[in-house]
Amino acid sequence: MNNENIIEIKGLKKSYDNGKIKALNGMDLEVKKGEFISIMGPSGSGKSSLLNMIGALDRADEGSIKVAGIDLMKTKKLYEFRSKEIGFVFQMHNLIPNLSVLENVQIPMFETKTSSKDMKKRALELLKAVNLEDKINQKPTKLSGGERQRVAIARALVNHPSIILADEPTGSLDSKTGEVILNLLKDLHSKENVTLVMVTHEPYVGQMAERIVTVLDGKCQNIIQPPKQDN
Amino acid sequence: MCIGTIKGCEKKLIMSFLSLVVKNPFRNKTRSALAIVGISIGIIVIVALGMVTGGLENSTQSTLKAGAAEITVIQTGSSSFGSGGSLNESLASSLLNISGVKDTTGILRATNTSTTVSATTTNSSAGGFGAEGGVSITGIDASKLSLIGIDTVNGTEFTNTSTNQVIMGTTIAQSLNKTVGDTIDLYGKNFTITGTYETGNFITDAGIMMPLSTLQNLTNNPNKISDVLVKVTDNANVTTVSQSIENAYPNQLSTTTAADEANRINQGLSFINTASWAISLLAIFIGAVGVINTMIMSVYERTREIGVLKAVGWRDRRILGMILGESIVLTLLAFVIGTIVAVVGVELILTLSPSVGGIIKPSFAYDIFLRAFVVAFLVGVIGGLYPAYRASRLSPTEALRYE
Ligand SMILES: Nc1ncnc2c1ncn2[C@@H]1O[C@H](COP(=O)(O)OP(=O)(O)OP(=O)(O)O)[C@@H](O)[C@H]1O
Ligand SMILES: [Mg+2]
Repeated sequence: MNNENIIEIKGLKKSYDNGKIKALNGMDLEVKKGEFISIMGPSGSGKSSLLNMIGALDRADEGSIKVAGIDLMKTKKLYEFRSKEIGFVFQMHNLIPNLSVLENVQIPMFETKTSSKDMKKRALELLKAVNLEDKINQKPTKLSGGERQRVAIARALVNHPSIILADEPTGSLDSKTGEVILNLLKDLHSKENVTLVMVTHEPYVGQMAERIVTVLDGKCQNIIQPPKQDN
Repeated sequence: MCIGTIKGCEKKLIMSFLSLVVKNPFRNKTRSALAIVGISIGIIVIVALGMVTGGLENSTQSTLKAGAAEITVIQTGSSSFGSGGSLNESLASSLLNISGVKDTTGILRATNTSTTVSATTTNSSAGGFGAEGGVSITGIDASKLSLIGIDTVNGTEFTNTSTNQVIMGTTIAQSLNKTVGDTIDLYGKNFTITGTYETGNFITDAGIMMPLSTLQNLTNNPNKISDVLVKVTDNANVTTVSQSIENAYPNQLSTTTAADEANRINQGLSFINTASWAISLLAIFIGAVGVINTMIMSVYERTREIGVLKAVGWRDRRILGMILGESIVLTLLAFVIGTIVAVVGVELILTLSPSVGGIIKPSFAYDIFLRAFVVAFLVGVIGGLYPAYRASRLSPTEALRYE
C-alpha cells in the first residue's frame, strides 16, 4: 500500500515537576500508516507519556512530533485533531455509567457534524463488530470487564480515526479475555485500516504486533521485528 | 453525513447532548436531592411571600376606588381607627359648606369584643390590621354606604330605623361561617344579617355595618360620631380640600386621605417586600453555596471521565456547557418543585384557616413566578460557573491519571 509515516517523532522531550522528572528524554519514533506496533518497557519509562503526546493530550517541551500530517507542536486545534484522528483505549474502560452502551459509543461523535441517525447507525455497526449487539441498551455497570473493554474499543473507532492508541488495554483483564480483546483490536485495525499503537507489559501481547518498540528512560531503546506469525 | 437541513441535524445533536445534561444530575440522587431541597426552600419563600404581599398590594389599591370618600376626618389627637364618638354628628353637614366638598357622612367606629366573634380576634391581631381584640363595627347611614366603598350589597341593606339589622363583610362572614339571614350576637343582642358586601379592602371587608343611630345607642354615644367621610367634587384636588378642612377647624380636626392610607399600608408592604427580598437573598446564597458544593463534588468524582471526554475530542466549551447545564437543571427542577409547594402550601393554609384566607387573596401575578424562575436560573449559573470552569480547564493527562 503506501509507505508514508503517520507518526514522526524526533528528539521529543517532556518533563514534569519543573524538570525533575524527565518522562520523555529525546524520543525518536516513526510509525507507518496502517502499522500495528507495541510499546514495551518498565514502569515509569515513559510509555503512557509517549502515547499522550501522540494523542495530543499534552504538549511536549522540545523536539518535533508530527501525527497524521499535523504538527502537534504548533497546531491550536488539539481537540479537532483528537476527535478526527485518534481513538483511545485505556486500561480502565472509562465508560460513563449512567449512559447505555449505545450512548457511550456515540459520545465522541458529539463534536462532529453527524446527525443522530447516522450516529446511531455507526455505533450499531461497531457494536456489532465487537459482538455486543444484544447489549446495546445495557448500562456499563452490568457488563463484564471484557465486554466493557469491547465497548471502549467501539467508542475509540466510532469517528473513523486514523490511529488507535491503546494503553494496556488488557491490563485489567484475565489472559483469556485479554486475548479476545487483542484479537478484536487486531482484527478491527486491519478491517478499519487504522494504525494501532499499543502499550503493554506482557511479552506475549507484544509479540502480536508487527513491531515491538522498547522504551527505557524516556527513549526508544531498540526496535524488534517479531517473527512473522501465521494466522 | 447529515441528511436533511443542517439546522435539523444540529437540533438533533443538541438533543442528545441535552439528554446527557439532564441525566447526569441524577447519578448521585441523594446529593442532588439535597441541593434541590436547599434551593427549593428559597424558591418557596420567594413565591409564597410574593403571592401574599402581592395579594395585599392588590387590596390596598382597591381602597382607592372611585365612588368612595377620598378624605376621612377625625378629631385631632385620636387615632385614625379610633373607636367611640368624639365628634358631633352635626359636623358632617357643616363640612358640606367647605368648597370642593361634594358629600359627607358621619360614621361611628366601635369594636365588639363579645365571645361570638373571638375567631377573628386572633387573625386581626396577627395580621396587624383592623380593630384589635374584636370585630370592628361601623355605624353608617344606609344611603351613604357608597362613601365607605360599599357599592353593592348581596341581600339587602339594613334600614336606618331598624335596631336589629346588620350587613357584613365577606371576610368576616366567611370566618364566622355566616350568610344572609343568619343572626349574630353583638353587645348581647341578636342581629339579623340582611346582606353581605365585598369592597376589596381587607379592613372594610373584615367588618360589620349597622345603622348609625343603633350603634350610637348600643355604645352610649348619642349624637356622636368618630369620623366624617368626605367625598370631593369631581374637579377638586383632594389635598387642597383636606387642607381647607383642617384650616377651618384648627387644632380640632385632622384629615387622612385614602391615598395616605394606601401609602401607609404600602410602606408596611414595602417593608415586608424588603424583608422578603432579604430572606430570598439569604436563601439564594445558601442555595448557591449548595449548588457549588454539589457540582464541585460531582466534577471531582468524574475527573477521569472528564479526561476521557477530552481524549475523545470534546472541546473545553462543551464540558463547560455540560457542567453548567447540569447545575441549571438542578436549580430549574428546584424552581418547579418550590413553586408547586409554595402555591399548594399557600392555598392549603388559606383554605384550612378561612379567617386568614378571607383577608388575603393570594396574587398569581406572573412576575412573581418569573422572579422565582430568574432567581433559580441565576443560582444555577452562579453555582455552576466555577465548577464548570474548573472541569473545562482540567488537563486531560492529569484527569486520566487521577485515581
Ligand atoms: N502528569 C504528570 N505529572 C508528574 N509526573 C508525571 C506525569 N505523567 C507522568 N509522570 C512521570 O513521568 C514518568 C513516566 O510516566 P509514564 O506514565 O509515561 O510511565 P509508563 O511507562 O506509562 O509507566 P507504567 O508502565 O507504570 O504505566 C513517571 O516517572 C511518571 O511518574
Ligand atoms: Mg502507563
